[in-house]
Amino acid sequence: MELLINLLINGLATGMLIFLLAAGLTLIFGLMDVLNFAHGGLFAWGAFSGVWLYGVTDSFTLAIIGAILTGVILGFITEKLIITPVYGNHVQQILITLGFMIVLSEMLKVVFGPNQLAAKTPPLLAGSWEIGDVIIIKYRLFIIIIGFIVFGIFQFILKRTKIGLIVRAGVMNKEMVQALGINIKQVFLYVFMTGAGLAALSGILMAPYSGVIYAEMGMEFAILAFIVVVIGGMGSFPGSLLAAILVGLAGSFMAYYVPALSLAVNMMLMAIVLIFRPQGLFTAKG
Amino acid sequence: MKSTFKVNNIILFVIIAALAIFPFVSDSRTWTILLTQIFIFSILAMSYDILLGYTGIVSFGHAMFFGMGAYATAIMLDRFEPTIGIFVLSIAVGMCIAGIISFLVGLLTLRLKSHFFAMLTMAVSGLFLVLAEKWRSLTFGNDGFTFRAPEFFKDRMMYYLLVLGCLVIVYFCLRRFVDSPLGRVLIAVRENEQRTKSLGYQTLHYKVIASVVAGVIASLAGSLYAVSLRFVNTSVLTMDITLDALLMTIIGGVGTLIGPIIGAGVIELAQHYLSGLAKEHPIFERWIIFFGIVYILAVIFFPRGIVGTFRYLFWKKKNPIKIANVPKRKGLAK
Amino acid sequence: MSILLKVDNVHTHIGQYHILQGVSFEAKAGEVSVLLGRNGAGKTTTLKTIMGLTPATSGQITFNNKSIVKIPTHHIATGGIGYVPEDQGIFGALTVEENIKVAMKKEDDAALARQEYVLELFPDLKKYWKKDGGHLSGGQKQMLSMARAFVNESKLLLIDEPSKGLAPVVIEKVMEAINEMKKQTTIILVEQNFLMASKIGDTYTLIDDGETVQSGLMQELIENEDLKRKYLGIG
Repeated sequence: MELLINLLINGLATGMLIFLLAAGLTLIFGLMDVLNFAHGGLFAWGAFSGVWLYGVTDSFTLAIIGAILTGVILGFITEKLIITPVYGNHVQQILITLGFMIVLSEMLKVVFGPNQLAAKTPPLLAGSWEIGDVIIIKYRLFIIIIGFIVFGIFQFILKRTKIGLIVRAGVMNKEMVQALGINIKQVFLYVFMTGAGLAALSGILMAPYSGVIYAEMGMEFAILAFIVVVIGGMGSFPGSLLAAILVGLAGSFMAYYVPALSLAVNMMLMAIVLIFRPQGLFTAKG
Repeated sequence: MKSTFKVNNIILFVIIAALAIFPFVSDSRTWTILLTQIFIFSILAMSYDILLGYTGIVSFGHAMFFGMGAYATAIMLDRFEPTIGIFVLSIAVGMCIAGIISFLVGLLTLRLKSHFFAMLTMAVSGLFLVLAEKWRSLTFGNDGFTFRAPEFFKDRMMYYLLVLGCLVIVYFCLRRFVDSPLGRVLIAVRENEQRTKSLGYQTLHYKVIASVVAGVIASLAGSLYAVSLRFVNTSVLTMDITLDALLMTIIGGVGTLIGPIIGAGVIELAQHYLSGLAKEHPIFERWIIFFGIVYILAVIFFPRGIVGTFRYLFWKKKNPIKIANVPKRKGLAK
Repeated sequence: MSILLKVDNVHTHIGQYHILQGVSFEAKAGEVSVLLGRNGAGKTTTLKTIMGLTPATSGQITFNNKSIVKIPTHHIATGGIGYVPEDQGIFGALTVEENIKVAMKKEDDAALARQEYVLELFPDLKKYWKKDGGHLSGGQKQMLSMARAFVNESKLLLIDEPSKGLAPVVIEKVMEAINEMKKQTTIILVEQNFLMASKIGDTYTLIDDGETVQSGLMQELIENEDLKRKYLGIG
């Protein structure tokens, strides 16, 4: 029983981290038809800047805020310099965002050195609770809670505010939104920056979870995020949460029971979804 | 038109002859090895060009075919006798495996939009990498293994000539391929798949053919690569290989076949010099960033690459178009 | 009556295709100008060009005496031009209420009053206020699209084939709505349905192969059998 709960919490925590990364990606794709292969780089930058800040200020809160800020600023730069110049051309987009991903990864090594860095868990969140026979690791619970809070905030924004309405409308028909007098390019920028901030948040949260951070983690984690975006449906915000949880749980259970397959299971999930229901399990486009 | 054709051929012949004579004239081992690498990667880059340049498909998994060829050759030469016969057989085996896998992957995934295909190929390639890492009994995982190459190739010069020969043959075969009616359809798919479909072509079939051709040629490059190093490890399946092919094709010039060769030359030479420089001046250690930036600028401002831009400027000079002269056509409004 | 919109020798290229090859016409304030022509003649592209969705490659378009050829679409919209596209452009997963909300610039009392007024014109929309746009019938979608464009007090409405795919009884309703809207704004209408066009339109412009063939009063066109037969395939 306690094994089950452990695997569940493990899976949910991983799932939340992937969700934060995938949420931005799916909104960006749904709204702008842009698949940002540089998203992983934003994630890695969030992790590194957060860890560095934590080391310098000893405040995890500041680290998180700093990481998000880093992400947002990098998101701004990415959208203006990388995405906008090739807007509309899918092939160029794919190529250029991948190139930028490499630049971001290498810049990390320039700024923070080529080696792995250790990331420690803030003392408040370290350790675990014991409830009967079950050991619940505090930090994982923290991640899960943050994940749900973020989801709640964004669902609220999407469903109850004007800007959320515009984003949802834009995902369905951006030409029409423009024809109704809304500067959709500006909205793109904001959505992109927000997605970048979320990616960076995922990065800093991931750091203590895995204990070490390294420049290549961006690319590795990004592949999982892509899988989630595909399974959940491009442009579906709730879809990305559910798919992320699914992927997180699948990975967690597989890693325990059939470790050899754990990496493969997600790719197989994605392959199955792509072949049988390419629009994803949920759809956002009306 | 015919005169440019002849001039082109003469130039090509001269270059090939010069390259062939080179090892006899020069003593430089470094250069021989470097040029061999350039030839090998030229083959890889040309195979990538078939996908990207001619059919308009972005694949992030090309390394897996390169790796298949490399491992097929390495394993067979290691487990069996290191003879030329086995070498040739291993190339064939690699090509077969690559052909089958590229066919299956292509069939399943090429019907999807470009984004999905890119992601899926990235994931499948990653899968192969993990497979190679875990299957230590066969591949020795990350550490890899060395093996002996056929006696005949102990001499760097002979191998150089072999690889050059392969490059020339592959180039001319691919040239025939892209200039054929089939090749024309691929270009049509690249330009406007919808249109091509509406003209009655089963575009999926053509895309799969392109995928198989590209995969098989990449496998050949992999086999040649393994023997050039006499060593293989999981690095032949990494994203780095795919990125190399990508960079070479783009910087050299997509859709030109010559472009990737030039791109391979440029990139290999730059890598060679920059890493040399890095040893003396640590500031160059992160020279990959330089490449990344050049690549990004190339995608934005010079999407045609070196060869492509040259050809375009040359063509523009010969055919200045004035808007007023555009003939009236029955437009396709609505 | 003043000329509200003037389209002067406009050419539009989409990719390498030369779609509009010299379209010229004028729309006078308070009138319904109808663009007529065969399938593929360039009528929808003309509206899209005015709206900036497929920008003109040469020529001039003036709205209220100001040139709008280089202006981005959303500025053209906020400048007073509303667009009702051929496929209605309804946000399917949003409710009727939300669809209209996207269009509204302000939500003060004046704006809400205006919204009320518009809903009086299209009573069905009030009835299905909370229904998803994608679940509406064809006619209701058309109403929603027009209401959305109209709720902002646009000075000019571009309406593309509102009668397409609708039953005659629904077309009547659409025509009533357009006649009502006509009292407050200028309308440029693209229509294939000549019967409807001839009843509502004040002026006509015939477009063929991306060029303007002829313009004039609707009454003249109704009496001109030759033109109708040649360019509209009627009679």
